Amino acid sequence: MAGPLDGIRVADFTWVWAGPTNTMQLAHMGAEVIRMETSQHICTLRMFPPWPDSKPGPNRSGYFNQYNQGKRAILLDLGKDEGAAIAKRIVEISDVAVENFAAGVIDRLGFGYDELRKVNDDIIMMSMSGYGATGPDKDYVSYGPAQVPMSGLSSLTGYKDWQPMHVGMSYGDPTAGLHAAFAVIAALFYRERTGKGQYIDMSQWESSMVVIGEAFMQQVMNGAPPERDGSHDLHMAPHNVYRCAGEDRWIAISCASDEEFGALCGVIGKAELASDARFATITERKANEDALDAEVEAWTSQQEPFEAMEKLQAAGVAAYPPLVNQEVMESPHLAARDFWVEHEHPEVGVRRHAGIPWRFSETPLAVKRAAPVMGQDNEYVFGELLGMGSDEIAGLVEREVIR
Amino acid sequence: MPDRALEGLTIVEVGTRGAASYGAKMLADLGAEVIKVEPPTGDPDRAIGPFPNGEAHPEKSGTYLYLNTNKLGVTLDITGEKGRAVLGKLAAKADALIHDYPPAEAEAAGLTYEAIRAANPDIIMTSVTPFGQSGPQKDFKASDLTMQGAGGWLWINGWPGNPDLPPLKAFGRQPSYQGGLNGALATMGALYGRSRGGPGQHIDISIQECIAAILEFVLPMWSYMELPVVRYGQRPIHPIDMFQCKDGAWIFVLCIEEPQWERLVELMETPEWATWEVAENRFVRASNWDALRPFMEEWVSQWNADDLYRAAQAKRIPFAPVSTLGNLLDSDHLKARGFFVEVVHPEAGTLAHAGAPYKLSETPWEIRLPAPTLGQHNAEVFGGRLGLSDAEIESLEAEGAI
Repeated sequence: MAGPLDGIRVADFTWVWAGPTNTMQLAHMGAEVIRMETSQHICTLRMFPPWPDSKPGPNRSGYFNQYNQGKRAILLDLGKDEGAAIAKRIVEISDVAVENFAAGVIDRLGFGYDELRKVNDDIIMMSMSGYGATGPDKDYVSYGPAQVPMSGLSSLTGYKDWQPMHVGMSYGDPTAGLHAAFAVIAALFYRERTGKGQYIDMSQWESSMVVIGEAFMQQVMNGAPPERDGSHDLHMAPHNVYRCAGEDRWIAISCASDEEFGALCGVIGKAELASDARFATITERKANEDALDAEVEAWTSQQEPFEAMEKLQAAGVAAYPPLVNQEVMESPHLAARDFWVEHEHPEVGVRRHAGIPWRFSETPLAVKRAAPVMGQDNEYVFGELLGMGSDEIAGLVEREVIR
Repeated sequence: MPDRALEGLTIVEVGTRGAASYGAKMLADLGAEVIKVEPPTGDPDRAIGPFPNGEAHPEKSGTYLYLNTNKLGVTLDITGEKGRAVLGKLAAKADALIHDYPPAEAEAAGLTYEAIRAANPDIIMTSVTPFGQSGPQKDFKASDLTMQGAGGWLWINGWPGNPDLPPLKAFGRQPSYQGGLNGALATMGALYGRSRGGPGQHIDISIQECIAAILEFVLPMWSYMELPVVRYGQRPIHPIDMFQCKDGAWIFVLCIEEPQWERLVELMETPEWATWEVAENRFVRASNWDALRPFMEEWVSQWNADDLYRAAQAKRIPFAPVSTLGNLLDSDHLKARGFFVEVVHPEAGTLAHAGAPYKLSETPWEIRLPAPTLGQHNAEVFGGRLGLSDAEIESLEAEGAI
């Protein structure tokens, strides 16, 4: 049975990470996503590592190939009148158009919402700029890594008494991409019932703030933000990342109740701690957290992390080592759930990629194909979809419209 | 014609861990009617605050207030037969049910697809759980901290080059948010599919997979190059760094594209940098960042943060402030966009909430209702929607089912 977005076509003007994350979700659900690309300005992600054998190439990036699975790609120089006209023909036969340039750029390119509506009145257009399409700083430029500090997440994250930290990845990008995909499908749902398309103005900055909403409540209620306190938690203790045996090996442990703490005390061979006045309730454990952490680490530091995880989990205590990339990709649990996607790719062969984190029981979803190499679908899109003959396509190549 | 994108949809939320609350909030804020089912003791988020002046109060928890706007709230003990029967009646009239009970707890509470489908074969049921519905670790205990570990995120955050500092958790409940976000997205997809003739179905969402699916280039580093990743700081390109400015505020220094770097060299008034081999391109700069960093730090320290941010942006260099929450609430840009919205709650008063991440031209995101007080809509939902008589409701109350 078909995916829920089967038959939906997306004109994909996006690049780097946030926009492609959005359109990959739509592809996951069955939409036909057509990436508009040009060799004159290659997508940043295509130029980023990792590359097999350390050999760069626009079709060899694992970063690009992870977030563009299931899509199609064409080459088209939008700066040329003929190229722009062809792009509009693609918009005409599409349901959705998505772009993630800085505000105003898409209008200057001639593909603003008013222009797209002229060729497709019920198009759903999603702009996902860094700052949003309005406001005094709308023309500023931004990328996902900047959304982490801009959103306040950096000022909340960090070791106690240390500087603000990043969070280890460009978290603003996927958070924006997922919110955007949700909004696009909500708009499709509305269109299904009313026949009306619409324009969606999405701000990556704002989508990075909605995932720390409770911290804003603290600021609004009490005039001060939550303080940086490492991996501790106000309502759980122990709650930390503890050193294990071996070099740079760790385990994350958290106890949400007195019962779980009692179970942990049993596992670490210090049952007496559960009734120790310093640790008897969450209030005492928080007040004596350094001493508590030292007791837990005295045990973990003698343990291999996965063995410690098994012992603690067997007793009903939340524990998991911080997995390094190899361990994620070799996780027996994720393998049992058939999470990975390994399609043949013409330039990098068969590589493992993260798949779809949702299982649909009646209309199972699947990644249709590996990420496209540049211009891979020229023939399909220009020939099959737009009905151009091979001479016409050859002429466009000759006039450097397709390039 | 409906005014709101999701007007007419009814969603039942059975959430206890933030994930279902956030996913259902996303649907509610675009116009779906969400009926939030809480245990008679209340959603645990009512107990965690933050609270005004730190004084705990079940109707004043900031986490609860934020995550539950636009919802109707009912209380129901679904661990008992009577409560479960009422849940079945709610499901029978709903388009979707979203919950975040781990598999064993869901089974014990009768929150299985078999039971829900029996009440409504067309329903979309979405289960957001730490490890999903299958696999050897499906019953593992979990928290937002351990899920950052299991997803591969925790490892990459921390202080590079200091082996005494452990991997560091990102603030808050990010795995729960990601689970809720994916839950809303997948539910929306299935509802759209159903509106075009598709079936009701069960959606199994694993938070571990939601995290593993957004790790930037971390996983391909292994599958393309067999390179283990290290904690943040070892970036493939540079500059991507954070520095303290003259006024004590911090700035995020960033150049992604080469022309941005060229313009930064102009801004720094250091034309010699353009000729340095160690700074030749973004990859070379990354290899030599330890040597280059002190120069950049010295230059940044002569600026006030906001001046440097504006000067860089004037040259289209994507620097960013390291915002405090106070900065954000005062931001002229965010005020002009109306990002923070004031919500009036009968017990907690008027409080600004983080608002819409997107603006839909025809069907605005909007706050219609503050978060419900405990059991606020019991009469309206059980009586008005389900048609239970006053006597039936009283009897359920007497038995502690609602």
